[in-house]
Amino acid sequence: MIALPNLSLITWMPFIGAILIMFGARHNPFLVRLIAVVTTGISLVLSLRIFWLYDREAAGYQFYEELSLVPPLGITYQLGVDGMSLLMVLLTSIIIFAGVWASWTMKERSQEFYALLLILVSGVYGVFVSLDLFVLFLFYEIAVLPMYLLIGIWGSSGEVRPQGIFAWAFRRTGVGTKEYAAMKLTLYLLFGSAFILVGILALYVSADSSSFSLLELEQVRFSPQLQSWVFLAFYVGFGILAGIWPLHTWSPDGHASAPTAVSMLHAGVLMKLGAYGVVRLGMGLLPDGTHQWMWLVGTIACVNIVYGALSAMAQVDLKYVIAYSSVSHMGVVMLGAATLTESGLNGSVFQMFAHGIMTGLFFALVGLVYEKAHSREIFRMGGFGSMMPGIATAFTIGGLSSLGLPATAGFVAEFLTFLGAWQSRFPWWLFPGVIGAFLTSIYVLRVTKQIFWGPPSTDPHFHGLPDARGPEWAALIILVFVLILFGVAPGIAINPVDTATVPLLTRLGVLP
Amino acid sequence: MRAFSLEAGLLVLMLIVFVGGIFGRRDDSRRVGVVSVLGLVALFYWSLRLGPGASYWGGAYVVDDLALFAKRLFLGATVIGILGSLTLRAPAFARRATEYYLIMLSSLLGMLVLASARDLILLFVAFELMSIPLYALTGFQKRDGAAVEAALKFFLVGTVSSALIAYGLSFVYGVTRTTLISGIGPGLAGGSPLLILGLVITLAGLGFKIAAFPFHMWVPDTYEAANAPFVAWLSVAPKAAGFVVIFRLYLEGVGDNVVLWVPMATGLAAVTIVAGNLMAIPQQNIKRLLAYSGIAHIGYMLTGLAAVSASGVAMMLFYLVAYLFGNMGAFLVVEAVSQAEGSDNITAYRGLAQRSPVLALAMLLFLLSLGGIPFVAGFWAKLYVFWAAAEKGLYLLVLLGAVLTVVALFYYLLVAKRMYIDAPARPGPIAVPPLLALGILICGVGVVAMGVYPKPFVLTALRVAAAIF
Repeated sequence: MIALPNLSLITWMPFIGAILIMFGARHNPFLVRLIAVVTTGISLVLSLRIFWLYDREAAGYQFYEELSLVPPLGITYQLGVDGMSLLMVLLTSIIIFAGVWASWTMKERSQEFYALLLILVSGVYGVFVSLDLFVLFLFYEIAVLPMYLLIGIWGSSGEVRPQGIFAWAFRRTGVGTKEYAAMKLTLYLLFGSAFILVGILALYVSADSSSFSLLELEQVRFSPQLQSWVFLAFYVGFGILAGIWPLHTWSPDGHASAPTAVSMLHAGVLMKLGAYGVVRLGMGLLPDGTHQWMWLVGTIACVNIVYGALSAMAQVDLKYVIAYSSVSHMGVVMLGAATLTESGLNGSVFQMFAHGIMTGLFFALVGLVYEKAHSREIFRMGGFGSMMPGIATAFTIGGLSSLGLPATAGFVAEFLTFLGAWQSRFPWWLFPGVIGAFLTSIYVLRVTKQIFWGPPSTDPHFHGLPDARGPEWAALIILVFVLILFGVAPGIAINPVDTATVPLLTRLGVLP
Repeated sequence: MRAFSLEAGLLVLMLIVFVGGIFGRRDDSRRVGVVSVLGLVALFYWSLRLGPGASYWGGAYVVDDLALFAKRLFLGATVIGILGSLTLRAPAFARRATEYYLIMLSSLLGMLVLASARDLILLFVAFELMSIPLYALTGFQKRDGAAVEAALKFFLVGTVSSALIAYGLSFVYGVTRTTLISGIGPGLAGGSPLLILGLVITLAGLGFKIAAFPFHMWVPDTYEAANAPFVAWLSVAPKAAGFVVIFRLYLEGVGDNVVLWVPMATGLAAVTIVAGNLMAIPQQNIKRLLAYSGIAHIGYMLTGLAAVSASGVAMMLFYLVAYLFGNMGAFLVVEAVSQAEGSDNITAYRGLAQRSPVLALAMLLFLLSLGGIPFVAGFWAKLYVFWAAAEKGLYLLVLLGAVLTVVALFYYLLVAKRMYIDAPARPGPIAVPPLLALGILICGVGVVAMGVYPKPFVLTALRVAAAIF
């Protein structure tokens, strides 16, 4: 059998698709979508393949690939996955594949839209599979930048009302609301990447090994002082993308203004890049810094959980509800990591996956509802369940997973995380977590009841709305299926993840 | 005589342009320019075949790796600058085209000599030979009041800076009793405060030339008033020359006696980055925006200088080349849009992506390169200077620079927004003259090539810089 460069293929397939779309599919929207579906489909199949082939007995990085890029400076194109990145690659594949189906009706400048979307996905894959910090940083930038145009051109304005000092600065330059959200998001994330870059350079320079390889840097014992501030730099840099409070404010604006597929990708996958970065780079390379700052990471995560849930309760725009619930759920991810326990860290990674799927599902559904009803105002809508039973069912399942009902993926993740919190140095972290789960159930049930299962809206505008149709079903079915599959049989994900978290915790000195 | 062949060749070219201008038809501006470009391309090709090693007049004139690198850079920049200028249409310009190209070439001659000068007097003379034509070119459209005013400002500031340089250099000579730069190091060993004072004053003078904050005042007005192809050249070549002088005087001369001026370079870099980027934000005129962003770029280059290391110099050289392609390309696009729309306002770029997708893409690439985004040249340039500074532990400066890069991206993205997100103000593509398109193409290829495959450039820069230390 020929050994395929699986990871490179997965990473670059969407990029190839983008190039094909740019140069091969002029003014042919169907061909554009076909290329997008095929290239992301290939990535999905290959992701499933490596998920299958991944050796769960032999821990460590597998499917290793290497190519020297800039030898005198020690930059190497090094790819490999362990259990954690494996799951993230799978998540990315599922979300983008579903995302392409969900935005099937995108008409306006569709060629450019899909090209940018696919380039962005290549960046996301790249971050998850890179074992060279520098290449990782390159991919990170690729994953962030297309977002500006994607939101700026295809985003939606209107129900977004910017406030605060940032909005004031933007009004002076005459920028409208979706442009505002796009710019805010881009600047926040690039601001974070400045910290990441400085941290990476600091590690490189002081390691004295003239290599950016994660594998080599893992062997270096940095001075505690350096570890301390580099960890903070990574935490701030990646944490912005993960949506940590108080640096999360780009995320509700960005998610709410973005077009459907971009919201799905962004909340579903890109925020995980942030959490992944904190775990992989921060905790993986800087054990002393980790032990020193974990109280801060965990405490802020608790703030995230409660604050995000409370904010979600206060929203009247459906997309904002989902966006703030993401902030809350990312708090669970960070809390799990901060516990420094095996179950907590497993829960954290599992939550990255589970939240990615359910948020992707939510944004796909909101996109569908908005497309049909032309409204996102929760309290104008009502009783849609009778008109669009499919969408209503999918939304309810997503909601139940979000509030952590057993037999959905969300339950497994929250359970493991809270277990970890109880076992950690700060057991009181458990309480904000549980309160967050409780608040989540309030707003999720309220929104579900209001929109889908409550009394029908008297507004004639909402009569006779169609259910999802054709390709749109594909996205919903895939996501709901995955959500339940991983809830019923969490072992298929937790086994590989465990092969990544145990060595990490061993290096941190928590496990023997 | 191989060592002087470039300067001699340029003199011959100038003679041809001069004679051709006298006897040629007065209303044909193109021919003279085309001859200049062809001659310069030939000289550039010839420069690739020259090797380093020669030294004349007791070490006053050298042809080392740095000199050759700089000369190629100057020649390349001038080729692109003239390619852009060939499309200038103002009637007043057409009748005096010979003068324009001749003045430009004589400034280039100054740069070529400057690159090799390792003697204070030769250095100063070459510097003036380079600078004075610039004042004339700024006010070339003499019926344009703004241009004349800008030229006057530029001239006054420029002469003051020259005076400062001369004043500072006189201290250097007074202490070391030699005009050779190699005499500075031994003089410093004597611990003379006068010598330090002289070097500090000279750096202030050079600060005007390279437009570091707070010596930058002439830049926005000059850029706004002069024509864009000339500004493209002005924003790159003379500044590169200024940095060559800094390398010669401070790195070859002072060497690793860094106590003296590293704090100065660090401070200068920090304030220049902050001021340039912040002042660029409110600009509505694209030339002024690029002017302030250019000031910020000088700050980034000074970051590499503050590292005082071979890698620092190498990274600055790399930065200069990346800046050449990015900045000149951007100004050439400005010229194209300005010719079609008659405006340098940023609003003229509305919907450019839908009117002329290729031109908009080129501009986007240049702006992203200036902003330091991966896979275009500017990313590596910024990364490398930060790297050099991080090697010396200047983490705070690096963090400052990296954070302000985000500010820079803000105003670059505002231009990108006009091009890609806004609806076009009027339909129809923008006509780009073929020669201008060629210039833009060269810059675009340069930006992408350096971005995708920086290795050969880095290796060259490292080799050149290693020779200094």
